[in-house]
Amino acid sequence: MSGRKETVLDLAKFVDKGVQVKLTGGRQVTGTLKGYDQLLNLVLDEAVEFLRDQDDPLKTTDQTRRLGLIVCRGTAVMLVSPTDGTDEIANPFIQPDGA
Amino acid sequence: MLPLSLLKTAQGHPMVRTFTFPRMPLHMLVELKNGETYNGHLVNCDTWMNIHLREVICTSKDGDRFWRMPECYIRGNTIKYLRVPDEVIDKVQEETKSRADRKPPGVGRGRGRAREDGPGGRQPKGAGRGLDDSARTTSGGRGRGGSGGKNTGGRGSGRGRG
Repeated sequence: MSGRKETVLDLAKFVDKGVQVKLTGGRQVTGTLKGYDQLLNLVLDEAVEFLRDQDDPLKTTDQTRRLGLIVCRGTAVMLVSPTDGTDEIANPFIQPDGA
Repeated sequence: MLPLSLLKTAQGHPMVRTFTFPRMPLHMLVELKNGETYNGHLVNCDTWMNIHLREVICTSKDGDRFWRMPECYIRGNTIKYLRVPDEVIDKVQEETKSRADRKPPGVGRGRGRAREDGPGGRQPKGAGRGLDDSARTTSGGRGRGGSGGKNTGGRGSGRGRG
């Protein structure tokens, strides 16, 4: 069924667009996707890392760190999503009363 | 039922998108190893369980922050578990049925038969070798003698010509 095509997601449509990448270990980076390969190694330009809470490394803060041009190793990439249309929102799940 | 075939079915699940708000019949939940969860529509998945979701809502580990994203790609090896709609299970059973109807490929046993003959052919050889040990001089001698004779014969004729 899967055949020759190996990628679930065609990253071509993200090239030269902003992407958000989460890496194993908790780092979170955004940048402009400049290139990629089938192993999901990514080239990001003007990359910015979101620094994390020192007490709780799972929480990202508003503090950032400029990284410039980087290569994300594919094996460490956990999640890729476009930055366009990605926003923090209020709880969208309706909580049943008293639950 | 294989986990990935369930996912494959879920992926092919008819998803009617109408008008401005798409209906969300196939809303999957994916929890990653880091505790974050992703709710969204399964667009595609592969044999590594890499997943492409659309219209995603990401929830932080502690469940008090939420993000909306139009789509995301999740690497399979970071997934802890997935929650799949119940109706997918009916679909997957249908599919496995139709798969069972297909004929498996049959022939290709010619080699096996040849092998069966093989040991029968070898055994005499082994016995022959055993005999050789006792009667080495005769057989070995024959071989060497024959070849040696040929060679010398060739040379001899050559000399004769010269």
